[in-house]
Amino acid sequence: MIKIISLFLLFTIHCSLFTVSYAGEAPKRIISLAPNMTEILFALGLDDNIVGVTSFCDYPEEAKKKQKIGGMSNPSLEAVVSLKPDIVVMTIDGNPKEFEERLRSLKIKTYVFRSKRISELSQGIRDMGTALGVKERADLLAREIETTINKISRGVLQYAPASVKNPSPFAPYPSPEKKILFIIWPEPLIVAGPGSITDDAITIIGGRNIAAKSKSAYPKYSIEEILTQAPDIIFIGRGMGMEKVSQGLLKKLKSVPAIKNKRVFYVSDYLYRLGPRTVKGIEELAGYMEQ
Amino acid sequence: MKIKMLIIILISILIFGISLVIGPRIINPFDMDDISREILFFIRAPRAVVAVLMGMALGASGAVLQGILRNPLADPYILGISSGASLSAALAILGGLTFLGTFTVPVFAFTGAVITGGIVGMMGWKKGGLWPERLLLAGVGLSFLFSGLLMLIMSISTDEGLRKAMLWIFGDLSMSEWSRIPYGMAFVTAGTVISVARAKALNALILGDEFTHSLGFSPRKERSVLFVSVGLMTAASVSLGGMIGFIGLLVPHIMRFFIGSDSKLLLPASALGGGALLCIADLISRSILPPMELPAGIITAIIGSPYFLYLLRRKNVLSI
Repeated sequence: MIKIISLFLLFTIHCSLFTVSYAGEAPKRIISLAPNMTEILFALGLDDNIVGVTSFCDYPEEAKKKQKIGGMSNPSLEAVVSLKPDIVVMTIDGNPKEFEERLRSLKIKTYVFRSKRISELSQGIRDMGTALGVKERADLLAREIETTINKISRGVLQYAPASVKNPSPFAPYPSPEKKILFIIWPEPLIVAGPGSITDDAITIIGGRNIAAKSKSAYPKYSIEEILTQAPDIIFIGRGMGMEKVSQGLLKKLKSVPAIKNKRVFYVSDYLYRLGPRTVKGIEELAGYMEQ
Repeated sequence: MKIKMLIIILISILIFGISLVIGPRIINPFDMDDISREILFFIRAPRAVVAVLMGMALGASGAVLQGILRNPLADPYILGISSGASLSAALAILGGLTFLGTFTVPVFAFTGAVITGGIVGMMGWKKGGLWPERLLLAGVGLSFLFSGLLMLIMSISTDEGLRKAMLWIFGDLSMSEWSRIPYGMAFVTAGTVISVARAKALNALILGDEFTHSLGFSPRKERSVLFVSVGLMTAASVSLGGMIGFIGLLVPHIMRFFIGSDSKLLLPASALGGGALLCIADLISRSILPPMELPAGIITAIIGSPYFLYLLRRKNVLSI
């Protein structure tokens, strides 16, 4: 048991300050230590420069064909070194800090992607593009992301209740914003809490995350609290047979407005990674708000 | 002794009642709105029942195993049953298996537990009977094997999957629902009844095989019957809500401090004590940090161990 717990701790404790150490000409051989880094690298057109990715890097399709260097929290140092990278790209919250230190002690350059929230995504991409010598493309991608997010948050007002759009002194109560719950996994119940990308997305589409008061980004949540807070919309991450696995939970929640009014939606996993596809995830959620 | 037993029964019922009323929201049973009624009958009640069943199974199994293995450190998990169940459940969770719907993980856990119990039984079997030392060592050996395999599949799984599996292994009662309870109840009741019915034989087994024989019991047969009933109870408990530490090992000892070592009283008392402790631990785990929940297994150990250590200092008697 002790071993399992320590393994668990090892996997969870990896957030701390990282340092960026890169300067010089555009790198030719790049290794990515996180799926969202791989997606950004491909989006920046660096397809041919990527020489290694993690075993979780499954998008785009070509990423699967790249050489694997292990997992996110346990990449293989030997595998990384033997690929002779010019730079190793990693994230501040998904990869162990010690790994970065080891790489630097071996004189391997690293770039640490520091953005954790949607609001920091476009700047993160710009910084990364500068470091990798693809400044223009990064700027283009970042602007694309900013434009889409702005469009969505402006669009929110179009279908917002009239009282929110034109606050009138005669309106008895301001129409409350939609209460939303995003379920990551039903058994045991884990939801998207404050500080998660999904929580950001819910705010952007003009909703209110009922789990926003939890203590962690992905809390184990109380079913009783869901019944009490009565969400208007429930989103459930798709995949791993989720339609079936979630039936038990939904049965328990059958009296909340979201289920009574058939406003439970299974959505794709775009919002689990902070990358080029994050905006697609926001668009998807926004689409269900309009219905 | 009868009075002490009565007190234990009353306290258990009281705790069960309290755990229905208290939670993130306090429910007044005489004045309920629709949401409160729903929370009480469909969320809390099945949860409290599962807590009681699991606690009973673990408490009674612990008392029986400490007896048949003649070892104060024995508990239902030492036989490897829980690591077998965890391995099997983790395979279902991480492999994304869903062909039995919400029953998939419990059924996997139960199967894993039963298979492991069977292997331990086979390893412990020699010359037409089960041998305490063999059972114990086979259980410990198998535990290490399964924990190793569990760590292996966890270290190659995604961090997200790892967290799901971890939460399950730490014990999760939040998904308890009425539909699962009849199965669990059948095994736990049968196991408890069989154990209590064989309490006299268990008393004899604690004192030695020859003594058991002279009282007219067959030590081999009695040990096998008790082992099977304990195996099924533990399997049912693990499949209801994962692994809950502490109860199986220490509740029987706490109860021994209270009402002595006579298995006829000790077994029902350990069952009730286990049920009540898990009930209260679950109450704390879901109420202390709302809207978040903590795994109940952590709470049992945190509130149970200090109390056990306190008793250990105060009382003189120590026995199986």
